[in-house]
Amino acid sequence: MLWKLSLTGIKSRFKDYAVLFSGLTLSASIFYMFLALALNPKFLKDALPIGYQITQVVFGFGIVLLAIITLVYIVYANSFLLSMRKRDYGTYMMLGARNRKIGRLIFSETLVVGLIATLVGILIGVFLAQGISNLLISQLQLVIHHFVGFYLPAVLWTLLFFAILFFLAAIWNRIKLTRSSLIDLLHEDQQPVKLQKNNARLILMAIAGIILLAIGYWAMSAVKLLAETSIPVALVTIVSGSYLVFSSFFTMMINLLRKNANYTFKGLHAFSLGQLKFRIYSYNRILTIVSLLFALALGAITVGLNFNGMTEQNKQTQYYDLIIPGNPKKYQAEIDNLGIEETERIPFKMKGEKVYVSKDEILKKKIKIQYFYVKNAQAHYKTLVLNKKNFDKIDSSDFNQNLPTNYDLPKYVSQKQFQALKGQALVVNVYRISNFERNWKKIAKIQETVIKNSDKQYSGISPKVFNYQAAMLVASGFEFMGFFLGLAFLAMLASTLMFKVLSGANSDRPRYQMLWKVGAQTRLLKQSIAKEIGVLFSLPAILGIVDVLFGLQFFKALLPDPYKNIWIPFVLFLALYLIYYLLTVKLYESIVLKKDK
Amino acid sequence: MTEILKVEQLTKTYGKKGQKQYQALKGISFTVDKGEFVGIMGASGSGKTTLLNILSTMDKPTSGQVFINNQDITALTKNKMSDFRGKEIGFIFQDFNLLENLTNRENIALPLALQNVKARIINDKVEAIASKLGITTILDKYPAEVSGGQKQRVASARALVHNPSILYGDEPTGALDSKSATELLETMSMLNRQDQVSILMVTHDPYSASYADRILFIKDGKIGNELKKGEQSREEFYQEIIAELGRR
Repeated sequence: MLWKLSLTGIKSRFKDYAVLFSGLTLSASIFYMFLALALNPKFLKDALPIGYQITQVVFGFGIVLLAIITLVYIVYANSFLLSMRKRDYGTYMMLGARNRKIGRLIFSETLVVGLIATLVGILIGVFLAQGISNLLISQLQLVIHHFVGFYLPAVLWTLLFFAILFFLAAIWNRIKLTRSSLIDLLHEDQQPVKLQKNNARLILMAIAGIILLAIGYWAMSAVKLLAETSIPVALVTIVSGSYLVFSSFFTMMINLLRKNANYTFKGLHAFSLGQLKFRIYSYNRILTIVSLLFALALGAITVGLNFNGMTEQNKQTQYYDLIIPGNPKKYQAEIDNLGIEETERIPFKMKGEKVYVSKDEILKKKIKIQYFYVKNAQAHYKTLVLNKKNFDKIDSSDFNQNLPTNYDLPKYVSQKQFQALKGQALVVNVYRISNFERNWKKIAKIQETVIKNSDKQYSGISPKVFNYQAAMLVASGFEFMGFFLGLAFLAMLASTLMFKVLSGANSDRPRYQMLWKVGAQTRLLKQSIAKEIGVLFSLPAILGIVDVLFGLQFFKALLPDPYKNIWIPFVLFLALYLIYYLLTVKLYESIVLKKDK
Repeated sequence: MTEILKVEQLTKTYGKKGQKQYQALKGISFTVDKGEFVGIMGASGSGKTTLLNILSTMDKPTSGQVFINNQDITALTKNKMSDFRGKEIGFIFQDFNLLENLTNRENIALPLALQNVKARIINDKVEAIASKLGITTILDKYPAEVSGGQKQRVASARALVHNPSILYGDEPTGALDSKSATELLETMSMLNRQDQVSILMVTHDPYSASYADRILFIKDGKIGNELKKGEQSREEFYQEIIAELGRR
C-alpha cells in the first residue's frame, strides 16, 4: 500500500521529479564522458603524443575535481529530493506508517531514482561523447582521432562511483527521515536566523577575507618563487578568503539595506531581504563552492582556448616555411602555386655527421633567422637579417633546423676553408610562403613527399610545418580538455546552485501564497524572485571572474599571453550561465506560484 | 446606511462540464452595511471557505456578482484583483499567515509597501495601529518569538494598517487559547464600534459569532436563517445562537 502511495507521490510531482532526474542524468553523463576521455589511452596517446604523461596527471587531477564536484552536486540534488518528500512521508507517518517502513521506502526510492538516472546518463553520455567530440573537433578545427563514444571501463567506473554515492545518499535520507521528529518533518524551516550584528567583527572578517584572497592571488602569480607550493597555498587561502568575504559582505549588505527604511519599505524589498537573510549561513557555504567552481570552469575554458596561442607562437619559431633538399625542379610548379615570398639556396658540406656551412655565403645571401630570447620569463622570437655583427646569434636561432644536423650544431667556416673542405657537397632550398596559416596543410603535404623522396643524408632536417603540426596536436588536446572540463564544471556548478535554490522552494511556497493573498501582484512576485535568485547567481560569478583574472597569472609561464581574446570564453560562459539562471527562475516560479486547488 | 459589500446570486460550481460537477454555492445574496459586524456560520463543507475566497478576490464565481464599495470585483483582471485586494481588503487568517522571515514591523508594513507608500508614512501608520492593538513593544521581534495571541494581533494590524473597506476574518480565533481569543474579539469589536471598521467573520464557534451584530447561517451552499443581535446583550445573543444551532 505504501509503495503505491509513494508512486502516486512521484506521479503528482512529476515536474519536480523530472528536474531532479534530468539533473542526476546530466551529472552521470558528464562523469562518464570525462572518464571515457581520460581512461582511454588510445585516444590520449593519439591526441597528445608528446605530453602524454603530463596529460595523464592533468586528467587525473580533472577526475578528482570532477568527483568532488559530483559529490557536492549529489548532496544538493539529494537535499532537493528530501525537501520534496519530507511532507509526504511526514503525512504517511502521521497516518500511522511505521518508522522502519518509511525508512525502507525513502532508501529504495533514492537508490532506484539514482541508479536509473545513472544508467540513462551513461547511455546519453555514450552518444554525447561521440557527438560533442565530433562537434568540437570540427568547430575548433582540432585534429583528434580515435575517439569512440563507448568505452567499457568508463561505463563500469561511472556505475560504481554513482552506485556508491547514491547508496550513501539513501542511507543519509533514511537516517534523516527516521531520526527527525514528525513535527519537524511537517513544519521545517520556521525558525528565524539572527543576523550577526557586530559590525566591527564583520569588518574584521571582511578585511581578513580580502587579505587571504590577495595572498592567494599573489601565490598564483608567484609560481617561480613558490614552485609546487603555489597551488596548495592559493587553494587554501582563496577558499577561506572567499568564505569570509561572502559571509561578511553578504551580512553587511543585508544589514545596511535593512537599515534604510526607504529601501526596505518599498514593494517586496523587505521580503527579498528577509528571504536572503533567512538562509544566509547555508548560502555562504554554497556561494563559496560555486565561486570556486565558477573560477575553475571559466579558467579551464579560457586557458583551453588560449592554447591556440601556443600554435600561434610556434609559427614564429622558424623563419622558412618549406625546405627542399637537392634540386627543387620537380616540385617547382607546386611551390609556385603556394605563392613564394622569399627563397634561398643554402649549400653545405657533410663530413660524417658534421655539417659545414660557408659563413661568407650566408652573409652574402642575407639569410634571415628567428632569434630566440627570454624576457620576463617568456619566450620571444625576433626576425634578424644576418650580418657580421650579429652572426654569433645564429646558434640560438632556428637556422640549423634547415640542415640535417642531428646532434652537433653546424660549423661555420670562411668561403676559402669551405671550398678546401673535403666532404659531400649538398644543398637545401628554403622557402618563405606568403600565407603560412592558410596554406599549412598543403605545405605539409609537399614537405612529406619531399622528405620521403630525398636522400637519407637529409633525414636530419626539421621542417617548420612538422613542428607546427605536432604543436597543433598538443594544443588541440588541451583545448578540447579545457573546453570539456569547463563546460562540465559549468553544468555542475550551475545545477548545484539551482538545486540549492529549488530545495528551498517547497518551504517558500506558503510565503508566496501569503504575499499573493495580501495583494501582491504576480508580476511583483516574479520580479522579487528574479532579483533574489539573481543576487545568488551573480555574487559567486563576480568573485569567480576576479579569481580567473588573477589566476591566469599562473599560466604566464606556459602561454604567451593568457589574457589574449579573453572576452570570447567570458561571453560564451556567461551566456550559458545566464541560461541556467533563467531556467532556475522559471522552475522556482513554477513551484512557488502554483495555486492550491 | 451605505452598503460596503453587496453579493448577488453567487454560484460556484467545481468540475468541468460533462464531468462530475459539484455545486458549492447555489445562489447566495446578502449585503453588509458600512460599520457592520457580520458573522457567517455554517458546518464544514457548507461553502463558507468558497464564499470567503470569492469575496476576497482569490477565486472567481461561476455566476453572480460581488460589489465592494460599488465596484464589481468579479469583473476585474488578475492584476487589478491583486491591487484591489491589497488596497480594499484586510484579511485575518486562522493560522496567522505571517512571514517568519520578516519582523513584526515589516509584516505589518507589507500592504503599504506594496502600494509604494513613502517609508516615513508607513512607519507612522505602523506605529499608530500597533499602539492601538497594544503590540508596540514586540514590533522588532520575529513572529516566532511572540505568543499566538500576539501573532494574531500582528496579523490584525497588518489587515488594518492600510484602512481597508472591509475586514475579513477566516476563523480568526481558531488557533488561539480562550483568553487570547476573547482579547482578539474584544479588539475587533472595539475597532468596529470606534473606527466604524466593517467586518465579515466566518466561524463555526458560537462564542466568536456572538460578537457580531448579525449572523448569516449558510447550509449546503445557500443562506438559511439570519439572526440579529439588536438590543440583546452578548450573552443573550450567544444563547440564541446556540438555540439556532440546536434546531438543525
